[in-house]
Amino acid sequence: MSTLLLQSEGESPVPIVVVGAGIAGLSAALHLAEREVQTLVLEADPQFCGGRVAAGETVEVGDWHFCQDHGVHAVWSPYRNLLATLTRHQIRPMLVPAQEESWVYRRRGRIRRAAVGSAIRYSWLPAPFHYLNLFLRPDFLRALTLQDWLSLPLVWYGLAMAIGIDPLREDQPMEGWVLDDLMRGWSPALRAFFIGLARNGLSAQANEIPLSGFIAFLRFYTLLRRDSWAFSYLPDDGGTSLVDPLVARVQALGGAIVLGTRVTHLELIPEGWALHWTHEGTRGQVRTSRIILATDAPATAQILDNSPDLAVQAGGLYWPRGLETAVVRLWFDRSPHVGPEAGVFSGNWTPDNFFWLHRIQDPYVHWHRATGGSALEAHIYGPPELLAEPDRKLLLRTITDVEFAFPELRGHRIQQAMRRNPSSHTLFGLGPADRHLGTVTPWPGLFCCGDWVRHPSPAFFMERACVTGIAAANAVLEAQGLPTWPLLEGLPPEPLAGGIERLMHQGRRILRRKKGR
Amino acid sequence: MSLAVANYVRNLFLLLAGKRLLSPQVAVFYVTARCNLNCVYCEDFGLSRSAEAPPELSLDEARHVLRVLRSGTDRLILTGGEPLLYPGIDALVAAARELGFAITLTTNSLLLPQHEVILPHLDRLIVSLDAIDPQAWGPTIGMTPAVAETLIDRIRTYALHQGEWGYQMIANCVLSPEALSSAQSVLAFCVQCGMLASFSPQAVRHWPRADLFVSPAYQETISWLLAQKRAGAPVLGSVRYLETVRSFRPFSCYPTLVPRVMSDGDLAYPCRPFEKERSAQGGRPCNLLRVGTWQEALQSARDAYGLPPRMCNTCYQQCYIEPSLMQAHPLSLLWERIRYRASRRGGLSSFVPG
Repeated sequence: MSTLLLQSEGESPVPIVVVGAGIAGLSAALHLAEREVQTLVLEADPQFCGGRVAAGETVEVGDWHFCQDHGVHAVWSPYRNLLATLTRHQIRPMLVPAQEESWVYRRRGRIRRAAVGSAIRYSWLPAPFHYLNLFLRPDFLRALTLQDWLSLPLVWYGLAMAIGIDPLREDQPMEGWVLDDLMRGWSPALRAFFIGLARNGLSAQANEIPLSGFIAFLRFYTLLRRDSWAFSYLPDDGGTSLVDPLVARVQALGGAIVLGTRVTHLELIPEGWALHWTHEGTRGQVRTSRIILATDAPATAQILDNSPDLAVQAGGLYWPRGLETAVVRLWFDRSPHVGPEAGVFSGNWTPDNFFWLHRIQDPYVHWHRATGGSALEAHIYGPPELLAEPDRKLLLRTITDVEFAFPELRGHRIQQAMRRNPSSHTLFGLGPADRHLGTVTPWPGLFCCGDWVRHPSPAFFMERACVTGIAAANAVLEAQGLPTWPLLEGLPPEPLAGGIERLMHQGRRILRRKKGR
Repeated sequence: MSLAVANYVRNLFLLLAGKRLLSPQVAVFYVTARCNLNCVYCEDFGLSRSAEAPPELSLDEARHVLRVLRSGTDRLILTGGEPLLYPGIDALVAAARELGFAITLTTNSLLLPQHEVILPHLDRLIVSLDAIDPQAWGPTIGMTPAVAETLIDRIRTYALHQGEWGYQMIANCVLSPEALSSAQSVLAFCVQCGMLASFSPQAVRHWPRADLFVSPAYQETISWLLAQKRAGAPVLGSVRYLETVRSFRPFSCYPTLVPRVMSDGDLAYPCRPFEKERSAQGGRPCNLLRVGTWQEALQSARDAYGLPPRMCNTCYQQCYIEPSLMQAHPLSLLWERIRYRASRRGGLSSFVPG
């Protein structure tokens, strides 16, 4: 990384400053640097670039060292812009394809397990009926009761609604609606299944998840195409697999990246903007013509709130929430019984999911081959009162649950580590068009990108970060009269899902006309 | 019933039972890692890398590899590098024929006149042909236009002998952003010479070249090829395959349908891209010189690296897509055979353009 670049008095402004070196900021910087636009990236973290995909501290297990990063990350098949970007720069890692995901459902002290991932993505039924393949799986059927069968029409009604409404393209914020509203009347098992899906995707409780966010999530990841649910894991921690190569490419193309520099506020000046920053206790400013804010939603809100020229307008904006999470890693001296490499917990559990790292990430695979041990990562997404518990208690709860789910590992734990992630994980929701910041903001020369930013693309998380990063870079390039980068469209819905979608749209249009709207 | 057909039927039942370790349709044997051309899109072997190529197997050792492969399938592709650079290629082809293999040879055809003795043993002869303008093609293969012209003449000549020696000749054209416009002339050339034409998107480090993702011209070219195929042109490659590579949509892959054996006898598992990357997910778990049957080789590979992945969304190489699609969609294969003469002649379930 570069050391802090100080701008001397009288020196001309830096053409572009990107604030934040997560996937969004690095994508923006990369696409600008490729067009030979001089770009400076400021990252608040003193050690790591990458935001939520950054590397982390090291955990020692015997003579082995493992990186405790933000948590396992997956690259899904619809992440086309991210994959194309990595491919173009020849830094795409050899991803580890997901084989199977299980649903581990605890009800009244009993555990039911069903392999669900392959049933969805390899279903022989076309979308949106591919979920019916689950009902051909005996282990899934065993988790259901009569009540579940009776509530199936309500579930299908909910799914039909999700097909008929595209919150992002239609700009439908569905204000005031949360996932709980959609699932009213659903039976316990089906509710638990979808809550498990939603919590894993959106990391929050059903009464917190905006319905617009959930529908957009469902449409992007699974509802409209069977193969949308196909994904691969990064072969190593996020820093090694993704961020370091991206940083190296940005720097090779002439971009500068400065760590440990927190932007506190912005100021409108005649040449453009002055960014005020702090770095190891010192304060300073950088003058620039254009800024791309590539920070998470809470950090962006704070920067704008602290900026006297922008605070009033920023105060009225919609800000998607940032969520705290915790990640626990456990090492055992033996392997569990054979089963899926990952899964979702639903019912009464402390962790929300698990990943067997010794079957996913290269360092763990090597360790497993050498020692026969296994390693599990579990994510805890709340509720807030659970996350407020002390580390020791949270760790103990997780260990108890993991050993309950995998009793063959009791007494075999050899190491544990927990990491708390700050409230930077986006709980995606769509705000009203005039209040939810897009890549182009109301302020001249100020652009935004990140997985919380409004954009018609259906993408989520890393792909949304990449898409909005490219879009923000394009806005800058356009302003400078330079050629922009094409954005890849997602694959269209499968024919049946697409047909139902069109019918639903038509039906809604007729209804609106009848109501005189 | 041939072993490959029996494997195809057995695989259908394995797929119904949710299995992923399928029996091979066709085995690919890289007889040498040396080459006499330097194609710009080639990431495996080339003239400039020939000096670093590992030593090849002796003829006896290569025969043993063939015997092991024969216990798994009866369809074989001999490739390289340039397979005609393998010193014992004539004897090896004859040995493969004796073992009962249906043989496909992938070659650039430069050395074919010295090895005409093998031609009667071949079922298919796959040649590279990315353009028919020597001026354009010469730089692509890292040679002078005169060499390119020689190659085109050779291809034309040996296409004339298809009926006489009984092989089917297939031209494989790599679609790179720079050479998209050549597709039409290559297809016209193949029509004129009575050959089949196959088209594969250029890969960079196993992945489709990124420019193709965003290239309307690429999508138009594939759409044009689909239209030509539907109109009866000899385009080899199923409609499903062409649609898959037009949008680069995910597909279920079964890499053990097309096992690859490297020039030293090592098995690449689960597939060439994973083996090449040398990550924890794949590699060279077994040398065929140390096993007696294909089942032994497969078992040791599985023990080392587990089951192959099913949807890796990584490579879009025709050698993996086409057999996988045709295995997983038997009705598509049936329709291809009924509807398209080119697909009947090409043998799509074991089609690998090299």
